[in-house]
Amino acid sequence: MSRAWDRTGTWIGWAFFSDLSNALALTLGYMFSRTVTMQYPDKEKWLPYSRYRGHHFLKRDEEGEIKCVACELCARICPCDCIEVVPYEDERGNRRPAKFEIDTARCLFCGLCEDACPADAIALGQQYEFSSFSSRDLVIGRDDLLTKPGKAATGGGVVAARLDTKKDVLVEASEPQGYNWWRNIRRT
Amino acid sequence: MELIVALGLIVFKVALLIAMLLLLPLPLTWLERKIAGHMQQRMGPMRVGWHGLLQPVADGIKLLTKEDHIPAEADRFLFKLAPILALAPPFVVFVAIPFGETVSVLGNEISLYVSNMNVALLFVFAVIGLEVYGVIFGGWAANSKYAVLGSLRTCAQMISYEIPMGFAVIGVVMLAQSMSLLDIVRAQADVWNIVYQPVGFFVFFVAGLAEAQRIPFDLAEAEGDLGAGFHTEYSGIRFAFFMVSEYVIMLLVSVLSVILFFGGWNGVLIPLPPLLWFALKVAFFVYVFMWFRFTFPRYRYDQLMAIGWKVLLPLSMANIIITGIVFS
Repeated sequence: MSRAWDRTGTWIGWAFFSDLSNALALTLGYMFSRTVTMQYPDKEKWLPYSRYRGHHFLKRDEEGEIKCVACELCARICPCDCIEVVPYEDERGNRRPAKFEIDTARCLFCGLCEDACPADAIALGQQYEFSSFSSRDLVIGRDDLLTKPGKAATGGGVVAARLDTKKDVLVEASEPQGYNWWRNIRRT
Repeated sequence: MELIVALGLIVFKVALLIAMLLLLPLPLTWLERKIAGHMQQRMGPMRVGWHGLLQPVADGIKLLTKEDHIPAEADRFLFKLAPILALAPPFVVFVAIPFGETVSVLGNEISLYVSNMNVALLFVFAVIGLEVYGVIFGGWAANSKYAVLGSLRTCAQMISYEIPMGFAVIGVVMLAQSMSLLDIVRAQADVWNIVYQPVGFFVFFVAGLAEAQRIPFDLAEAEGDLGAGFHTEYSGIRFAFFMVSEYVIMLLVSVLSVILFFGGWNGVLIPLPPLLWFALKVAFFVYVFMWFRFTFPRYRYDQLMAIGWKVLLPLSMANIIITGIVFS
């Protein structure tokens, strides 16, 4: 629209409150546009991207052996000092962690442990729902870390979910991607 | 016997009216929050009941069980009196408001109004002016700077906006040759007053916004600069009284706009029951109130006074003169 036709600044627009009516039209348009609310955790849940830094997990190699060599580099680089590793020598003479504890209450999820690891054993996965009533429950041991979910394959979508207060927030739908939440946003 | 029946009917009508007015703020708060949400691309209340329909009930229970706190330095008598003073006048006004002509129940014609006063309009403006006492006492008794500032603003605002509001309806009275709201609606059977009185309606509606203390004229409780204005220190059920009073006044201004300017229960084009027409029009105005609230920012205090005295008052007086010349 050219400036000449824009009557907002002219006396006609002034006399008929064009600024006020433009505002009313805008809010009315928004009123009947789609809402952007993600109904988490009642109905929907967001799937994290593969780059997402969620809960830590430990990896196994092809033989099912734990990859970690207990070099303690992750514990050394950790800025909040929340990783504790105690090494031992297994029957084949390999150095392995006897104790591998992460205090997720203190962790700031920077991902430096993942970068520092020479054996590609520790990484930050896709799980982000691990709130707890006790900070003691947030200290995660080696065997629990081995069972935590890994990196997401895709992500960024929103899928149907249902809140199960007895166990956890459960994702019901099996669809891997869901709809693109960003596409629904009205921008004006 | 006939007297007892007539008396019982009036008591029944009054009880029904009070029950309706006390319960209507519940769906209205829900509607307001829903409209607020959707205008901001949110959903509003969703978790209590279907689409949050039971949210007002939950809020009501919360307000009832909250501590009823009175500040130590407050004037306890006035502090307790103020919410009742704020709540009563809007309810009393509805005695004079007609909702339709008559409706036949079991062969009897029952009128849809409590009383048909010949000075109903005067009564409405006289009683609604009393509501300001609740606001002033509430702010003064709380002995808090925010509350006092809020109530001082309200005092000035209410008084300066009641004048153009009163002048704006004189045009309507001149057209109908009566102050009875029933006669005013009957006079609009063919053409609604909005056609003859667009300026009168504009002044009335803007002044009504100020009277109901809604955005863009909600300086009495301006959250941004005054905490919550005159009811800053109120909690629990006394706060709920102020809230109910605010919603009933909003409803009252909508009802008055419909009766005075939009033909009351007279329908156009679509033949619907008169009561339904009336309800639809009132619902539209209630929506407009909420629509305004979530669109406009608040006027500054000096702007508010300037609009009231320098724009609305001359406009309403010019409206009276022109109406007198054209329709005499």
